[in-house]
Amino acid sequence: MPVDRQPDDVARPDILSVRGLSAGYGPMRILHDLDLNVHAGERVGIVGLNGHGKSTLFLAIAGLTGWQRGSIQLNGHEVGGTRSQGPGRYTHRVVRRGLALIPQGDEIFHGLTVEEHLDSGAFTKTAWRERRRRKAWVLDVFPPLAKLMSVSVGRLSGGERRMVCLGRGLMSDASLYLVDEPSLGLAPKIGKSVLDTLMAIELGESAMVIAEQNVSLLEGRVDRIIGMHAGKLKGEASVSLAGAMRWEA
Amino acid sequence: MDWGIIAVDALQLACIYGTLAVGISITWSSLGLINLAYGFVFAAGGYGAWLAAEHLSEHGIAVMSAGILTGALFGIVVWALAFLPIHDKPNFTMRGMIATVAISLIGNQTLMWYFGPRAKALPEIFGYAQVEYAGIVLTANTAGTVASSIVLLGVVLWWMKSSRRGLEIRAMMMNPHAASLVGIGVRRTGLYVMALTGALAGLASVLLSQVYYVSPFAGTTPLIKGLAIALCGGLGSIAGALIAAVILAVNEAITAATIGGQYVLITQFGLIILIILIRPRGIAGILDRAREA
Repeated sequence: MPVDRQPDDVARPDILSVRGLSAGYGPMRILHDLDLNVHAGERVGIVGLNGHGKSTLFLAIAGLTGWQRGSIQLNGHEVGGTRSQGPGRYTHRVVRRGLALIPQGDEIFHGLTVEEHLDSGAFTKTAWRERRRRKAWVLDVFPPLAKLMSVSVGRLSGGERRMVCLGRGLMSDASLYLVDEPSLGLAPKIGKSVLDTLMAIELGESAMVIAEQNVSLLEGRVDRIIGMHAGKLKGEASVSLAGAMRWEA
Repeated sequence: MDWGIIAVDALQLACIYGTLAVGISITWSSLGLINLAYGFVFAAGGYGAWLAAEHLSEHGIAVMSAGILTGALFGIVVWALAFLPIHDKPNFTMRGMIATVAISLIGNQTLMWYFGPRAKALPEIFGYAQVEYAGIVLTANTAGTVASSIVLLGVVLWWMKSSRRGLEIRAMMMNPHAASLVGIGVRRTGLYVMALTGALAGLASVLLSQVYYVSPFAGTTPLIKGLAIALCGGLGSIAGALIAAVILAVNEAITAATIGGQYVLITQFGLIILIILIRPRGIAGILDRAREA
């Protein structure tokens, strides 16, 4: 459902503020001096073709690219900076600052049960204490998981795995959810229902950024859609516009 | 052929090998480190136990806990030298192997220099009692070895199954990338893993030196056997490592009793090669029920 932008929306604090971010792997440069702001309570869509840097942008925010430079502020704390190696070295600190990255494809722990998976999502200190309550909430969001709680995740189907992955992300006490291609590799119907669920989640003071190739899945349902091309963010459109715009992608 | 003796021997060896192989397997799968300094940690644990027996108390519990603590301590030393500085550098697997080989060489020579080449005997920590049942002689030593390794392994596995830290280690064993995404710190977890596996090596060392002696290079053969068993079980699988330990211990006991102890390594590695030929992923390949993604 489209949300009308209130005037006081602009005054809302920035959850994420990226300035001049470049990142890549070895000699390859994927992102070129990106700027991106995400406010509290906002749902942002990033669309672009394969290989244009959507996933790299998310990985750079989590400190998982080969190298990166530029400022990334999460809840006012600097988590970026210049780094030439050591991908993942500080990822856990960024996560503890309130980032939940739901990666592309399913990064699952194949031997853990669904319940252990959800627990592992609540690994940060504050979330661990409240993990029972949060688990109940995640099961509210994804009811099919309730009867799979003691099944090992390696035996689930693609759609169920995606739910587990998203559920794991939701378990953390995050203020910024980065969701990378939630519909990828799923049957259109299941992909759509996964996105429906994401759209229905009450964000409160947190924010969500969803990367997608399929614009029609996002159209009219997020606050802003940003296009991504060749490692740069282009053509920002608010919802009302996005509905009317024809995207080449 | 005396099946009773073979069974008792096999049981004892299985416990010691299982303890070692589980340690190596956990280290490899959670940290991506093939810890070739495990033999050194093993020997150091033995010397720790020996020092405690000389200077503190000859009581079994004191000797054993000294071995376990020394093992854990040197596990942390290996972590500080071979994991912390290089774990996020390119080609860590190879660098880690080279670093741990270096630690192993330097450490073993240091032990040699400090304690001398003469082997040291640990006190009989389980006593000399023995019971005979249906022709099978069960010594206190065997019973103690089996009981203590099963208890310690059981505690470790239960802790890994039920605690938050254990979940952290298991998550890292299965998918280190996803583990960092849920906020698990690789370096901190590495510390726990290395202390834990070091403690297992220390225990195995104390147990094995009830039969053999503590010497500067006492860890070499256990390292090679532990590594081979871990490989045979499928690196990274605890259940696989335990099953492989039982199979190879039975093989070792039968070989020793039938064609002679000097052929143990030949049949041992022949069997390992056979298993790897048939199941390239080791025994874990049979146990694994996950769908291929």
